[in-house]
Amino acid sequence: MAARLTSGGLLLKGASQRRIVNDRLGLHRLAGSHERDRNHMQANVGAVASTMVQEERAHRDARHDRLFSWLLKGCALLVLASLLGAAGATLWGGRHAFATFGWHFLISSAWDPSTDTYGALVPVYGTIATSVIALIIAVPISFGVALYLSEVAPAWLRTPVASAIELLAGIPSIIYGMWGLFIFAPFFADHIKPWLTNYLGDKPDDGKLSWVAAHVPFIGKLFGSDYPFGASVLTAGIVLAVMIIPFISSVMREVFQTVPTRLKESAYALGSSTWEVSWDIVLPYTRSAVIGGIFLGLGRALGETMAVTFVLGNAMQFSASILDPGASIASTIANQFSEAAGLQKSTLMALAFLLFVVTFIVLLIARWMLRQLAHKEGR
Amino acid sequence: MTESAAAGIHPQSAATPAPIAPTKIQVRDLHFYYNGFHALKGISMDIPEKKVTAIIGPSGCGKSTLLRIFNRIYAIYPKLEAKGEIVLDGENILDASYSMNRLRSKVGMVFQKPVPFPMTIFENVAYGIRHHEKLSRADMDIRVEQALRSAALWDEVKDKLKQSALGLSGGQQQRLCIARGIALKPEVLLLDEPTSALDPIATGRIEQLVEELKNEYTIVIVTHNMQQAARCSDLTAFMYLGELIEFDRTEQIFTKPSKKQTEDYITGRFG
Amino acid sequence: MAGNSSLYLRRRFTNALALTLSTMATVLGLIFLAWILWETLRQGLGALTPKLFTKITAYGEDGGLANAMVGSLIINLIGILIATPIGVMAGAWLAEYANRTRLGESIRFLNDILLSAPSIVLGLFVYTIIVLPTTALTSGNTTFSGLAGGVALALIALPVIVRTTDEMLRLVPSTLREASLSLGIPQWKLTTQILVRSARSGIITGVLLALARISGETAPLLFTAFGNNYMTANPMDKMSSLPQVIYQYANDPGEAMHAIAWAGAFVLTMFVLLLSLASRLVLSRNKVSHD
Repeated sequence: MAARLTSGGLLLKGASQRRIVNDRLGLHRLAGSHERDRNHMQANVGAVASTMVQEERAHRDARHDRLFSWLLKGCALLVLASLLGAAGATLWGGRHAFATFGWHFLISSAWDPSTDTYGALVPVYGTIATSVIALIIAVPISFGVALYLSEVAPAWLRTPVASAIELLAGIPSIIYGMWGLFIFAPFFADHIKPWLTNYLGDKPDDGKLSWVAAHVPFIGKLFGSDYPFGASVLTAGIVLAVMIIPFISSVMREVFQTVPTRLKESAYALGSSTWEVSWDIVLPYTRSAVIGGIFLGLGRALGETMAVTFVLGNAMQFSASILDPGASIASTIANQFSEAAGLQKSTLMALAFLLFVVTFIVLLIARWMLRQLAHKEGR
Repeated sequence: MTESAAAGIHPQSAATPAPIAPTKIQVRDLHFYYNGFHALKGISMDIPEKKVTAIIGPSGCGKSTLLRIFNRIYAIYPKLEAKGEIVLDGENILDASYSMNRLRSKVGMVFQKPVPFPMTIFENVAYGIRHHEKLSRADMDIRVEQALRSAALWDEVKDKLKQSALGLSGGQQQRLCIARGIALKPEVLLLDEPTSALDPIATGRIEQLVEELKNEYTIVIVTHNMQQAARCSDLTAFMYLGELIEFDRTEQIFTKPSKKQTEDYITGRFG
Repeated sequence: MAGNSSLYLRRRFTNALALTLSTMATVLGLIFLAWILWETLRQGLGALTPKLFTKITAYGEDGGLANAMVGSLIINLIGILIATPIGVMAGAWLAEYANRTRLGESIRFLNDILLSAPSIVLGLFVYTIIVLPTTALTSGNTTFSGLAGGVALALIALPVIVRTTDEMLRLVPSTLREASLSLGIPQWKLTTQILVRSARSGIITGVLLALARISGETAPLLFTAFGNNYMTANPMDKMSSLPQVIYQYANDPGEAMHAIAWAGAFVLTMFVLLLSLASRLVLSRNKVSHD
């Protein structure tokens, strides 16, 4: 080993100017032996100069580090600035509308550009209705998907199926819109809507009220429609549901996997079935994160523009029926902003501000809930 | 070494074994806290120059913590605090005015797991040098070769210096990390359980290397492997629950320990 | 005894029912995926012609989407070029400087919110800070521009890149930091030359995902890049983009326009799916390679 060592006493240039002692041929390799050649010589040549160079370098490094961290911090603060900016810009843009209509703005269903009177009720209702419908459909399906992927599916099938479901999240929303407009809405109008209006609604084709519509309150109103096309609040809700399923199910699947195996195993050891373990152990353990995932999906649904705009019908009048066309905040802005001016533009900005604040709160709750589980995990 | 020193249990304290070489690092009443936990309780010891000093003790005794104060690497984490003095060549390195740059060019460190940088083998060694010195290409080549030779790695890597260091075996990576450390020509080399992630053959080579390197460097090695301490150190410190129980010549510690706890530990009664 | 066995049967039945329903939910999800992809493929491939790539939108149903594709490319490029450096630096700050500090945690939290913020509102924000002021400067001619569109998309890409950079850097083992710092290497060099390099493939994945995300965005472009009917590469000019033209054509009554919209949708979908596939490949082939 030592035999390969050659050049002894080579001098190298460098800040420290220390001699490289490279001759190790004289080494003893007897373990435990302490009879060593003791060299007390200390090479202090140039030590002072070297210290000065190093102090200088240290100062320079500290300065660079400080500048670098400021630069990085500035970039991070841009995230904060975008959020504040978006809220501020829409609030500022909507100031005329807020000043003109006051609190009445929120409960008025008026929307008349000819007299310049606007109310937020129709788009706000449309936004909430489509999102709630989307959640009602998407939550159980997402739970099913997450359950299937974490407990039911054979191991070899899990990754491909999970990737396929996640692929749904990758499809651009405009494609959902196209599919909704040209494929799903006609399908809905031909096959689903007639059944709903005839058996549940208060405006059936043959004029005879079904038992449900006649006896259960509200149901008739909710499903009654004589609008002949597929675009409706319900259609938009369904398309939104398909869009948010991958978000909710992937959060659920992820958090289901954080449940400690020993917890599940002890339940199985007591003879519990897969379903009982999932419902009684996994779900309670991950409850806050599951709710967080649902709110995350809600946040997405509230702010979604394109998919909704295509299938909602863009009707600015209020209707209690989910089979009638409606409008959402995002679709109203997308449809009208380019041609709007004056108070109408300001109204659209005000609507955007409302949307931003509501989604911000929903997403805040979502992230906070998701964090609860992470804290429990000690992460 | 005088007869009396070789024979003797030093009467004064655990901090001062028989002087076998001039003192390189003087530790005086060192306390360490993290998040309020008192991890080191008044450590005092003299680490001799160009010798191998091993620190042993059961896990959690503070041996790694102590080592990580010698180059103040602990300072990169928040809420850690060291009190006391560590005097290196007459200056207290815990002093805020002692520049980190200077300290780290004087004190090198090798970690438990080999951590090669995501670069070529050559760059791994050259990277650190480049920060401290401006060298010509030829000089840099010589310097890298020197470091790799000193780390007994040159013959194995000289034909693949441009390849990624991540392709080396664990033992080779660890020797590369040693080369990277000594390329800066430090005076002190800290080894934090450098063989715990390696197989016995790779471990043997690192131990050989330690033997060779002590001619030039003051080496402090933390190890959980008592045989390793016995094989390659001159002095051994035994720590327990944040205190330095005994510090003496390795022979002494392993044959005639003066403290009961030390004896219990090295004979395997606990730990 | 009989009670026990009926309880047992009921439990078994519940279990079987639940598991069947969960399987059906998954199948339903897959049906929707297949349905959407199939229609895009069928309608899109049917309408795919060379003129789509050679002619511009000015010719309507006899035209193509060439200017929209070029516009999309330019706007996306602007978006990514703005968002990547800022996002990587912000992510590095979160992971390396502000990990576990109050401000760092807050920004990480808010970044997650920005990640799902309604893109149409971000479009209005950029409209307010770029389009309106430039309009005022140019004596009232509304100055929509590809640049404004790019900035809007950058706001959408930013949180994606911040988050992946932050996560990937935090996956780099702390021993690598210690090893570098113990050589006296300053933090900025450590961050730019070692940590970012270690997490490179993860960061690239984030950038690709962000690109996939913004490629399909329509809403924020409506009031920023607006759209045009001519070929231009000038980012200060109004600019068409693929999603915006698809939106416009799909709302047109003409069947021929729908066909072009489908063809555009097909091209867009393929582009986005290939991007997310590529990002997956980058990540799986080159995971952060320290144990």
